[in-house]
Order: sequence, then structure tokens, then C-alpha cells
Amino acid sequence: MLNDDELLRSLRAAVPRVDPSGPSRDLWPRVVELTHQRPRWSIADWSAAAVIVISLLLFPKWFWFIAYHL
Amino acid sequence: MPGEPDAEILRRFVQGDQEAFEQLFRQFQGQVFTWSVRVVRDRSGADDVLVEAFWRAYRGRAQFDATRSFGAWLRRITTNVALDHLRSSARRRGWRSADDQLPAPPGSDPDTRDAIAVAFARLPPDLRAVAALALIEEEPYADIADALDIPVGTVKSRVFRATRMLREELARLGLRSC
Repeated sequence: MLNDDELLRSLRAAVPRVDPSGPSRDLWPRVVELTHQRPRWSIADWSAAAVIVISLLLFPKWFWFIAYHL
Repeated sequence: MPGEPDAEILRRFVQGDQEAFEQLFRQFQGQVFTWSVRVVRDRSGADDVLVEAFWRAYRGRAQFDATRSFGAWLRRITTNVALDHLRSSARRRGWRSADDQLPAPPGSDPDTRDAIAVAFARLPPDLRAVAALALIEEEPYADIADALDIPVGTVKSRVFRATRMLREELARLGLRSC
């Protein structure tokens, strides 16, 4: 049975520490590209929009109630 | 670790100034990359985490509290992005998990080092991140707790659970003597 120290030693041998010598290239252009992209709609965003549209089609009187909460 | 940025730079960053943002990127990219690679343990994955972390920081700049440490705030964002990266990698690997999780054939003699690396890679992302930082990189528990925004006690319990799961996985892989 491996004790805790032996397990730790084996783990460090199997999964060595990483060499954190910085990114291999300049990543700033990729960051800029992302910041200039239009915001992406998530599944939650699409679902909320669909719920609102369906609600308004079924219950047009809810318009002001929904508009107030948006 | 770089020192805290100038208050004026931070103010401009919060207002959306791209030059200030680039200055912060240049100052903190090394720290963010180091932390990312320690969590995801893959240099190209760490590049992606770095880009996403700075993007999320920029997108969420209005939430930054200027009275607190920018480095710590950015590290928390980086840790969340790195965890998301580990989770999505685990999902992508999911299609072959059924084969992966088969017990080692009877009588096989898997190399201990490989078996431990496999067992480590199969830990759930939350536990793997904490185990990598605490057990391999020997980061202080307090720093890990701060980066994950959880109490130190939770870090300790995750380390304990990760160690227990490693033992169970090693046993399942055929290293019954462990």
C-alpha cells in the first residue's frame, strides 16, 4: 500500500511541474479580435427572446408589463 | 508577479480605453499564462485560456472594484476560464470515456507512471485543478482558495477527495498494490 508521501512522489514523477516560460507568440492580436467581435448570443439568450416573443403573441396585453421589466 | 498597476491605468481600463487594456495585458500576460498552464497543463490550451481570460476581464471591466487587487481579480477570472477549458476538454473526450473506463485486462502490468498520469487525467476538472496546483505545483492553499474564490477548508477537502479518487482509479487500473 502506497502511503501519502509515496503517492505524492509518484504523482510528481508522472505529472511533472510545467515550465511556465510565457506564451510562444504575441497573443494580443487575438484578444483585440475577440473584443471587436459582436457579442454572441448564448442558448439562454435565445431562449429568453423566444419566451418573450411567444408571450407577446399569445398575450399582447403583457407588452407594458414585459417592457417595464426589460 | 507584477505589482499593482497604476490607478490611472485602471481607471482608463474600466472606461474601456484600449491602450490601458494593452498596457495591462503586457504587464500581466506572463502571470496569467503561468497560472493557466499550471491548471490546464497544456501550453496551447493555456494560450486559449489567456486570450479568453483577458477578453472576459475586458467584458466585465465595469465589475472591477478598484479598491481591490487587479492581479487577484484577473487570477480569479483566469481560474474560471481554465476550469471551463478543462470541463469542455472532458466533454470532448466523453465519446471515448466508455473505453477509457474499462478495467485493465487481468494479468496486465501497466507502467505505474503511466497509470498515475491516466488516473490524474481522469479526475473531475474541479479536483484536477486543485490537485495540480496544490500537489504538483505546491501553491499555497490560501492562494488556491483566493483564485477559486472558495474557503481554504474547501481546498483541503478537494485535495483529500482528489487523493482518494487517485487511489481508487489506480486500483481500478490494476494497481491493486496501491
